[in-house]
Amino acid sequence: MKCKRCKATAAVALPSHHAGFCEECYDLFFTRQVEKGIRRQKLLTFEDRVLVALSGGKDSLALMLVLSKLGYNVTGLHIDLAIPGSSPVARGVVERFCHKHGFKLIVKEMAEEGLAIPLVKARLNRPVCSACGKIKRYFFNKTALDEGYTVLATGHNLDDEIARLFSNTLRWDIAYLSDQGPALPAEGGFARKIKPLYRLSEFETANYSFLQGIEYHYAPCPYSQGASFTQYKKLWADLEDQMPGRKLDFYLGFLERGKEIFARHEQTHGDQLQPCERCGYPTSAEVCGVCRIREAVSRDDG
Amino acid sequence: MTEQRSRYGTTVELQPSGKRLELPYVKSVLQLLNKVGARRGTVLVIRDGKLLTPDRKLFPGDEIIVRTVVSAG
Repeated sequence: MKCKRCKATAAVALPSHHAGFCEECYDLFFTRQVEKGIRRQKLLTFEDRVLVALSGGKDSLALMLVLSKLGYNVTGLHIDLAIPGSSPVARGVVERFCHKHGFKLIVKEMAEEGLAIPLVKARLNRPVCSACGKIKRYFFNKTALDEGYTVLATGHNLDDEIARLFSNTLRWDIAYLSDQGPALPAEGGFARKIKPLYRLSEFETANYSFLQGIEYHYAPCPYSQGASFTQYKKLWADLEDQMPGRKLDFYLGFLERGKEIFARHEQTHGDQLQPCERCGYPTSAEVCGVCRIREAVSRDDG
Repeated sequence: MTEQRSRYGTTVELQPSGKRLELPYVKSVLQLLNKVGARRGTVLVIRDGKLLTPDRKLFPGDEIIVRTVVSAG
């Protein structure tokens, strides 16, 4: 296979784009897709102070690197979940990456917050993934607001967004469908949140990370077995193999034609958010999910 | 990769599991993906630190890494 741009031997084949790219031209392709996504959805300006959530995986590290190369003002944020075996490795990867590239890094340790994920898992009577996600989003938001960042960026890619959209559609979760997308505005106690990799699949970010020489953490979370999103991703991988381009079509079609309908319904019928009685985080209940998790953890500690 | 490898077949390391397979000679990346049950677009295929597209030919004695790209948590 030849590179579509320069006719050298291709290193990456992208059936969804009817193209292959050599190493150099792939860098250009990837960067242009991020730029296009930022421009089309008005995600960022060069005046923004961007806080990038860094898990240590290929997507978040790739995002940090490409935003930096594009000239954006980026700082990394890593949430150390205190999961034995996994968290120290992920944190090490993030710290080495930021040190190598001279990026500023903020680390929040959940053990110090009394929210180490193994402890939370032991106290809950349900899979810990939902609580872990709540906790991460809480500290992403809090750190962005406390430290004066104008926007929080996460490394969610097209496959993540498709799995989420599929999950929300299976449940007809109107609230989630009404605001799923690459950008959430700053309002009601929430920092502005963006997903600049939304046009790019996991395969594409993995290729970019590899070609850029990014050392990334690729072992799965030890608590993630049976996670539904992994199943959804497999279904969509099968579909995309048969019908290249279907993923991007589905997602962009939702943004252009579907989301607005759910947003209008939610404006009229949806729950209103108010500040948590204890911490001020926006919530539809009186006490937010993280405060309730803290209560459950401390209650069982006696 | 182990020092003892097949000079005539294809040695494959699956990541992240680390499982190693010694396969009879496989002629192309696409054949290799079929052998290990991986879909194109879900794995990186790496030889000597370089990425390979599905149409690329393999040679006897090749050592190949097949790394899944799907993140799980």
